[in-house]
This record gives sequence, structure tokens and C-alpha cells, in this order.
Amino acid sequence: MTGMTAYYVSRTLISAGFGVLLAATGTTWWVAALMAGIVFLLFLWAPQSGRYAVHPELGVTALRRDERTQGITDKAAKNAFVVVMLAVLALILYYGRLAPAEVPVAALDLLIALGALTYFGTDLWLRRTSGAKD
Amino acid sequence: MILRNRIRDLRLQKALTQQALAERVGVTRQTVIAVEHSKFAPSIRLALELARALEVSVHEAFWLEDESGGTVQ
Repeated sequence: MTGMTAYYVSRTLISAGFGVLLAATGTTWWVAALMAGIVFLLFLWAPQSGRYAVHPELGVTALRRDERTQGITDKAAKNAFVVVMLAVLALILYYGRLAPAEVPVAALDLLIALGALTYFGTDLWLRRTSGAKD
Repeated sequence: MILRNRIRDLRLQKALTQQALAERVGVTRQTVIAVEHSKFAPSIRLALELARALEVSVHEAFWLEDESGGTVQ
């Protein structure tokens, strides 16, 4: 098995495994199947997305970031880390001390959402402007 | 100083599409587009690979330009 066949077979197995995992952890079967289908569609889209350089000779690891896209994801991760750390600092100052029991769970959800938003926002912005380098 | 290039002209001379050039040097088509528009400064390695794929020296493909638009030697 060579080329993109290996990639597609491996992603089919990963998608199916994800669906089985969801079903095994209490998700209804049709939601699990739907989520597995969505994951598989993302894997199908990835080689055509322009986000990865395609190297069929590498088999299951056929998709690789090139230097520009790697630079973009690195910068997005850095920005997300800085924003989350600043938000944590703000929470600590707001609540007066680092006591997790004092911090509402909703605030932690907000941190995750803030980090994800910063990551994807930076990623999209840099892909539009192509300015990946510092 | 700004890094300029004539990758687009050289690619068209070779009748290569952006996708074909991208596949030859192992990057995405978007990266070739970004280099052609001088929005992304490639590494020395990628610059050398682009020049090799287009069968020119790296000096023929890339040069530095100062703020007045003059070529920097």
C-alpha cells in the first residue's frame, strides 16, 4: 500500500475509532456516527485545503506543514499562550489569590475559549496576509 | 531593505503552474503565491530549492531592494 491510499485508509480507521470511542462513552450511536463522518470529511478535505504540502511517498504521514505554514501555527500558538497567561493573571488579580476553588468553572471555560479564539484568529489572519515571520 | 524576486516570471517562462512549482519544492501552493508577491521571505534552503527548480542561480531569482527602489549589491 503506497501513496495517498495509505493516508486515506489510516484516516478511515482513525475516524471509525473516534466514532466507536464516542459511542462507548455514552454518546448516542447516530451522533457518534455523525461526528465520525465529520472527522472523516475533514481528513478528506485536508489534502486539498492548501494548509499542507502533500508528499504521497510518505504514506500515512503524507501531509506536512511547510516552513510558512509551520511559522503561522507557531505564531498562533505563541499568541494563544500569551493571551491565556494574561487572562490567568487577570483572574488571579481579580480573585485576590491563586485558589482554584474560588474561581468559577465558567471562568476556566472562558480561558479555553479565549485561547482557541486567539489561535484560530491569528492563524486565519496570518494565512490571509502571509506574514508568518517575526 | 526588501527581498524581491522574479519567481513568477521565471515560472511562467518554464510554463509551470504554481501548483507544479509547489510540488517540485515540497511546499503548498499558497506559499508559492506568498513568495511571488513578496509577502513571505523564504528560508535560504527554500530559496535555493526554488532557484534550482527554475534552473537559475539564486541571485537571478532573488535580490535585495532598498527603500528608494534601488538594487542592493
